[in-house]
Amino acid sequence: MNLATGVQVVSFGILAVMMIGAALGVVLLSNIVYSAFLLGGVFVSIAGMYLLLNADFVAAAQVLIYVGAVNVLILFAIMLVNKRQDFIPLPRAWVRQVLTAVVSLGLFILLSTMVLATPWSFSTGPAAGDNSIVLIGQHFFSDFLLPFELASILLLIAMVGAIILARREFLPEQTLATELEQPVLTLPERPRQLVSVASDRNSSLDKVERQK
Amino acid sequence: MDVGIDLEGSFIQSVTDLGVPAGAAKAIWMPLPMILMLIGATVGVLVTTWLERKISAAAQQRIGPEYMGPFGLLVPVADGLKLVFKEDVVPAKADPLLFTLGPILVVIPVFLSYLIVPFGQNLAIANVGTGVFLWIALSSVQPIGLLMSGYASNNKYSLLGGLRAAAQSISYEIPLALAVLAIAMMSNSLSTIDIVEQQSEYGLLGWNVWRQPIGFIIFWIAALAECERLPFDLPEAEEELVAGYQTEYAGMKFGLFYLGSYVNLVLSALLVAVLYLGGWSLPIPISMVAGWLGVSETSPWLEIIDASLGITMTILKAYFLVFLAILLRWTVPRVRIDQLLDLGWKFLLPVALVNLLLTAALKLAFPIAFGG
Amino acid sequence: MLKFLKQVGDYAKEAVQAGQYIGQGLAVTFDHMRRRPITVQYPYEKLIPSERFRGRIHFEFDKCIACEVCVRVCPINLPVVDWTFDRASKKKKLNHYSIDFGVCIFCGNCVEYCPTNCLSMTEEYDLCTYDRHQLNYDNVALGRLPYKVVDDPMVTPLRELVYLPKGVMDPHGVPASSRRAGTIPAELDEQEAASN
Repeated sequence: MNLATGVQVVSFGILAVMMIGAALGVVLLSNIVYSAFLLGGVFVSIAGMYLLLNADFVAAAQVLIYVGAVNVLILFAIMLVNKRQDFIPLPRAWVRQVLTAVVSLGLFILLSTMVLATPWSFSTGPAAGDNSIVLIGQHFFSDFLLPFELASILLLIAMVGAIILARREFLPEQTLATELEQPVLTLPERPRQLVSVASDRNSSLDKVERQK
Repeated sequence: MDVGIDLEGSFIQSVTDLGVPAGAAKAIWMPLPMILMLIGATVGVLVTTWLERKISAAAQQRIGPEYMGPFGLLVPVADGLKLVFKEDVVPAKADPLLFTLGPILVVIPVFLSYLIVPFGQNLAIANVGTGVFLWIALSSVQPIGLLMSGYASNNKYSLLGGLRAAAQSISYEIPLALAVLAIAMMSNSLSTIDIVEQQSEYGLLGWNVWRQPIGFIIFWIAALAECERLPFDLPEAEEELVAGYQTEYAGMKFGLFYLGSYVNLVLSALLVAVLYLGGWSLPIPISMVAGWLGVSETSPWLEIIDASLGITMTILKAYFLVFLAILLRWTVPRVRIDQLLDLGWKFLLPVALVNLLLTAALKLAFPIAFGG
Repeated sequence: MLKFLKQVGDYAKEAVQAGQYIGQGLAVTFDHMRRRPITVQYPYEKLIPSERFRGRIHFEFDKCIACEVCVRVCPINLPVVDWTFDRASKKKKLNHYSIDFGVCIFCGNCVEYCPTNCLSMTEEYDLCTYDRHQLNYDNVALGRLPYKVVDDPMVTPLRELVYLPKGVMDPHGVPASSRRAGTIPAELDEQEAASN
């Protein structure tokens, strides 16, 4: 084993431990902000895995999109609605936890048997390396054109939806007429006779107009 | 591609001549440029803070630092020492773990981004294929650190500052990336070295500023916003937020933020120099000068002069941009948060998109001038 | 379509205009960089106060007749005049006099109205103490004459802009004998006498 492979194995181990530990932390910690930050850790470790697999463009994209955009948006959402509430232990919470554990374990077993059962075809060709961007681009515009375009259409739909949500004029008018009718405010110590005053003024105005 | 000095190759060659295996020689080589770059970046920050003081003073008809060393050159050193020896205060109700992790997460991506800054043909730490894209990806990690420190400080101003910083850097990342995309489209590569190569043929006239004037302005505005420089320093607007996410920080943790912001400024200036001002290339191409003098382009002393001139040119261009940023700081008043987001989303983003489309059209129409 | 194009054109025009304004601002800032700094390196250099400078008040104990006019004209009745009536000479005898310069606004009303001219303004302006009560000057402290900036060997005295020779903007290195710009009051008197 030479130096390069040694480094590779060690970094794989570190990344794997980091990823699994962070992922467990995301699920098990009760503080939601910690979970969100650890999610960023998971994404970064995945990016590191991609780097180990010679896929540097995918790694950079992973960091940019998942860490830089998705995770920041999750954090934004958490921090904007951050309402500190005391943790109230539910009665018989262990039932839920056991159920969750069973479901998760079942999924894990299912996926791992699938991973082990699938005959993976390892590519024997040389790694793309620095050329990977060009190859990815060629695939996007030839055999993966439809999924690529579909993804862009999906994003476009999401963007239009966001714009419509942000510009209130497209939403149906909410009738606020009932709320707008405010009660007539009067001073408690000296109730004013609004009607009589108004009528007096009207009459005086009328007089003026008549004189004209 | 083989023109220029290959420092790495000759170093490994000389170490293997001493009887060290090739793998170990490479392992010895690898940390050297990184340490050099770390030191270079830190010294760059010291120079930048000094320049900031002096140029600000000149713009306000003051003298600026004068008594600490010649022309006050030791002021940044004194600053740094003060920050190192200051007591490291963690507020009582703060979250100590996240409070410490925040500034570290802010600083690390900035220093990592120096990986891709080239100072010469073979004078970059890594000529990665993803190049500029790596820088964009790394700079998008920063808001997480800002949010973290804003949250962990347990302070309204800090949290608001952190949220503002994150919103700002997310919204300005997009025009920045679009401006870079136009450049990448013209030079058919994301690698910073290829981008400079493509500009360096015709000297001053070949620089990307002339082909991408709109992109240059967009990139510069977005880079200033990413660095939280003055027209866009809302996350730490003193009048509103005390000091934003830095409010509760003291000592070296504050120092990390301070260092990070200036390293980021220098880095942005370097990248503008690389992407738009021809990187290490001289205003008059060196091959032309060599042709006039009748010297072979591959003669060793010319290569050494070329390399050192290249480093000087890159740094000079970067510091010209830093100067411009400082001048802008004392010229343009701070924008409001809604104006900031309006500028980002409603002005820079559409203009950047139009610029991208225009570049694509021009590339199809004039493949000679716009990199076919 | 045409309306939309017009909108786009107007928007572009506005953007260019904004850019021009920023450019103008940059030009102003840049122009300031070549101007000379107006800094006075304070403890080592000091500006010479003008003739009418209203600095710390000087008080001559022997001239005072304890009339308390200064107290009455003071906006805040600041001077403290402590006197006793001397039955033998049938005159007021001044015991103590004090002014608190932490409260004084240096308006100069007391100096203006003093019937015996025992109050006067000095050119001393750097009244700095570690305790604000030390700014409460008694008659002894008020009677001290300030040290002149011009006489201080530690200080480089600098003239203010109005007192510089014509065309000179920089107070550094201007010889003491050089004449200020414009006519000085004595010359004005002479001119008036000549015209009459």
